[in-house]
Amino acid sequence: MTNSVLPQSAREPVTGGTEHMRDFRKALGPWLKPKIIVGGTFVLLLCFMGVFSPLISPYDPNAQNLLNTLQPPGWWAGENFLGTDHVGRDILSRIFFGARISLIIAITVVLISGVVGVALGAISGYFAGHIDFGIQKLVEVVWAFPPLLLAIAIVAFFGQSLIILIVALVVQRWIPYCRVARGQALSLRTRDFVDAARSLGASNGRIIGVHILPNLLQAALVIGTFAMASAIISEASLSFLGLGVPPEIPTWGSMLADGRTYISTSWWLALFPGLCIFFTVLGINMLGDGMRDIFDPRLKRSGTGTG
Amino acid sequence: MLNYITRRVIGTIPVIILISLLVFMLVQAAPGDPADLLLSDEATPEDIASARERWGLNQPVYVQYWKFLVAALQGDLGTSFRYADPVLLMIGDRLPATVELAVVAILIAVFIGVPLGVWAGARPNSWVDNVGSFFGFFGISMPSFWFGIMLILIVSGFLNLLPSAGRNTYGIADDPITGFYILDSLLHWNWKAVWDGISYIILPAIALGTNMLGILMRVTRSSVLEVMHDDFVRTARAKGLSEHKVLWRHAVRNALIPIITVVGLELGTLLSGSIIVETVFSWPGSGSLLIEALNSRDYPLITGTVLTYTFIFVIINLTIDILYAAIDPRIRFDK
Amino acid sequence: MKLGTRIMGAGFATAALMTAAAMVSPVDAKTRVAVGATETISSHNPHGDSISMGYGIWCQVYGCLGFFDFKTGSYKGMLAERWEIDKKDPNVWTFYLRKGLKRHNDGKELTSADVVHSFWRMKNDPQSRQTQNVKHVAKTEALDKYTVRVTTKKPTAPLLEFLFDRVMITSKDLYDKHGSKIADRKHPWGWGPYKLKKIEIGQRIVLEKDPGNRWASKSMPDELMFRVMREAEQRVTALLNKEIQIAQFIPPHLASRIAKSKNANLVPTSSVELMFLAMSPKHKPWDNATLRKAVCHAINRDAIIKAILKGQANRLDAPIGQGQYGYDPEAAKKMKVEYDVAKGKALLKKAGMVGLKVELHTPVGRYVNDKQVTESMIPMLKAIGLDARLKTPEWATLWANVQKGKVPFFYMGRGGVVDPSPAFAQYFETNGSPRIGFSNANVDRLLQKERATFDPEARKKVLNQAFAEIVKHQPACFMWRHKLLYGIAKNVSYKPTPTGRIWGYAISVK
Repeated sequence: MTNSVLPQSAREPVTGGTEHMRDFRKALGPWLKPKIIVGGTFVLLLCFMGVFSPLISPYDPNAQNLLNTLQPPGWWAGENFLGTDHVGRDILSRIFFGARISLIIAITVVLISGVVGVALGAISGYFAGHIDFGIQKLVEVVWAFPPLLLAIAIVAFFGQSLIILIVALVVQRWIPYCRVARGQALSLRTRDFVDAARSLGASNGRIIGVHILPNLLQAALVIGTFAMASAIISEASLSFLGLGVPPEIPTWGSMLADGRTYISTSWWLALFPGLCIFFTVLGINMLGDGMRDIFDPRLKRSGTGTG
Repeated sequence: MLNYITRRVIGTIPVIILISLLVFMLVQAAPGDPADLLLSDEATPEDIASARERWGLNQPVYVQYWKFLVAALQGDLGTSFRYADPVLLMIGDRLPATVELAVVAILIAVFIGVPLGVWAGARPNSWVDNVGSFFGFFGISMPSFWFGIMLILIVSGFLNLLPSAGRNTYGIADDPITGFYILDSLLHWNWKAVWDGISYIILPAIALGTNMLGILMRVTRSSVLEVMHDDFVRTARAKGLSEHKVLWRHAVRNALIPIITVVGLELGTLLSGSIIVETVFSWPGSGSLLIEALNSRDYPLITGTVLTYTFIFVIINLTIDILYAAIDPRIRFDK
Repeated sequence: MKLGTRIMGAGFATAALMTAAAMVSPVDAKTRVAVGATETISSHNPHGDSISMGYGIWCQVYGCLGFFDFKTGSYKGMLAERWEIDKKDPNVWTFYLRKGLKRHNDGKELTSADVVHSFWRMKNDPQSRQTQNVKHVAKTEALDKYTVRVTTKKPTAPLLEFLFDRVMITSKDLYDKHGSKIADRKHPWGWGPYKLKKIEIGQRIVLEKDPGNRWASKSMPDELMFRVMREAEQRVTALLNKEIQIAQFIPPHLASRIAKSKNANLVPTSSVELMFLAMSPKHKPWDNATLRKAVCHAINRDAIIKAILKGQANRLDAPIGQGQYGYDPEAAKKMKVEYDVAKGKALLKKAGMVGLKVELHTPVGRYVNDKQVTESMIPMLKAIGLDARLKTPEWATLWANVQKGKVPFFYMGRGGVVDPSPAFAQYFETNGSPRIGFSNANVDRLLQKERATFDPEARKKVLNQAFAEIVKHQPACFMWRHKLLYGIAKNVSYKPTPTGRIWGYAISVK
């Protein structure tokens, strides 16, 4: 595997601070790009829908009405803005609550894989030797599975629950973090300041925590955004294959899977959740891309490709 | 160099064995008993017991695994419970369809993604760049299965332009030679069948290739962008070469390495993406075979298919690494 | 509702008429009919599958002893001309084979040795998935070249339900000479009207008419192809695009697309698959009959049929319905469980189980709108005071667990119920199968008595007593039988059968 991520060159600390405004503008400058603004807006929208779904949803997302099934979108005039599904549930409300699940899944998956990946990577690189060998073999084995394949197998075998789904999504996603963290740690462990800390009697844990981890943060952030995008798509793909969360939890993926049955007669069932997935992932990708431009133009491709 | 290759090839053997163990354990640990699933609705407990016996499911797992491993090393992945055919033969039957689909998807991605990326990279911030970047983001953000469904709905449903499912129309093709349908038809000079094959493959290949198209476009764009400022490009310009020639002869050639890398790296994603796209388009490839196998808990077939996918993936990665080492000798000392 | 189903018997009659008509027409192009099917055989071995579709396909190629004619409501012979039960010993059945039948390609005549061989192979072929069809058979002997004696283990009145159109007659000589693998692949010759032309497992099966065959008529399509198309949407699109001529199982919400089209008609048939909600008394709290009754009162079947199944289902008042063996409309009226929320609430209260957590398990995509149907049951169960939740485990897991009796509460169907005997013994007799795990001495007694009763009228009576007893204890709420919709191209005429088998006999191309 190509491990193209090189340790980040230490940045010059910004000295001074008299002209706060100018510094602020200078720091803000790179962030004011269309990519970041557009992407950020989509992501904020997702967060808003997810957090406030109980407040903004016009109906209970699980409330059925068999007398009012498959109603087309009523827009502003009708009772159901985006119409109803096959058992008469309000699609708009389900979209809002689906955003919540997408958000929960994306964040937990990224956090867990980040923590696991960075920790294992840092340990692997810092201690080297047998520990490194063992962890790298594990990485090699898990990474040898084509993306998504392992997740499909895990969910197919162990059933539907939010926890299993998250495990299935984490199972390969920690690896990019681990690779980057290991590379960083390998190079940092021989640096003078680490040696100095060691000679001053700092414990291994402290050295990793204080000197190594902070250096990984930016890389992890960029990997994280792409992992988040891919986690949302993977969740939807698994739900689409019928391997998602239990049916009482509305998710975009499962709405899409349900809606597929009605695609030619009631297109709104599958169209709206599909658009939501697309725009959310688009937003996250744009944001991630913008962040990568700012942090390190060389940080390429390390976050993509985990199905 | 040879030394490096040998070392790498030998290095993958334990990985593949570990993977086979992992897959085997996963399959065994799963709830759902193939004997229950594969026998009829009316099967008696005795029927089920005798099927378990026959399939060796009563033996301890480690015995089953050992038998599997010994047989696998001799090129025998066992016999499918459900179809009673050798697993290797079944995969061999289905794999060409998947490979054909993947190849066409890659072709679409390369022939659209690379030129778009080159144009975009040559004129950053122009309208070409904006359109290209849109395609790039569109590609990486579009869930393939949803795109596939929409393509079916619009192109085959409303417009009735292309078929929605399957791989060919019955009765047009000649006998297979290679199993690659379009290639076979070309070899037979059967143009009707060639067109038939193409008409079936277009939609799934687009659905499958869009993601790679997006990634390729973006990678090409940024490599071209970087290269355009390099010394040799400046030299070429100084020599008075036209901008067009500078771009295609020098810049693109230098951008090829990252492009090839990305194609290689994304092949794995493409392979697993094909599992879903095959389901959407009823494409008779190894991905839909895997889903069928999972659904019926056909242990040998699941293990065989997963291992085949993984094996292909490992080989692709190995090839990329070796190619890389061939290009850049420093990499050999990386590990 | 009339089961206007024509299978072979009727097929022969129309076939004769059509032959005359076809002779006038000078057109001699090959006629082809492609069927978009939901399931497929998985093996070249005619004994290697037990799906409904497979029995239909193999019976047309190899030939089977006979079949059930839905039009007359009785069994008809195919390879067997007639049969009889010994007057003294009800265990002894004699089948008389039709003489002078010619096998595909080499014209070899069908003999009793082939029949005995087929029974043997069903039992002993390691790949056989049809052992259950011969489980009541103790012994099969050839009495002479055309006579076969089948001896059962116990008197079994519904024996033909197990044997007819389920015992494929394969050739002994080919098997002895080539072994099963080669015989099935290279020499799939039989006595049916169609020759097997090509199998691409998981994709399609192509049959070609054997013109000299006694059951092959001119109007039957020269080529009959089964294409596997699991997605309903695909079947409809393919039908409207004329890629296929017969589309199996059109879900209710897609019916309008076909009804509106110029190319195809919608033809309904009532399936013989019983849909039910099972509640296993083996598991607490489902051992409480009051709870089970409360659940049955909670389900508004009419609303579900109307809203989700778009009217394409027939409510089951008794455990079986019109057209199935032993159905008695008078008896059924008495067995009907009304939708009654108040009663459901009261029963639940009486059982002391208000607020009880229950999990309804459902397959997804296995039966018509199964998930949608069960999804809509959740609020109904909540309405009587149950804290209900839907579980949609993957089919492999669900089915394995149901078969082991590990699922307390599930929605499921039992297909192929022409004669209800095997199905009810399997689901409701003690040790019939662990699926529901229901056990009741009265029901057991009645079901055993039914099997040993050879007089049809008396047997129907006993069956209905058994049904009444089952409904009294309600180990399952009987829901409905789907009206399966077929999309059929306008240039093809075909009446689908309730079992879902597709018979070339009954297809004619205009």
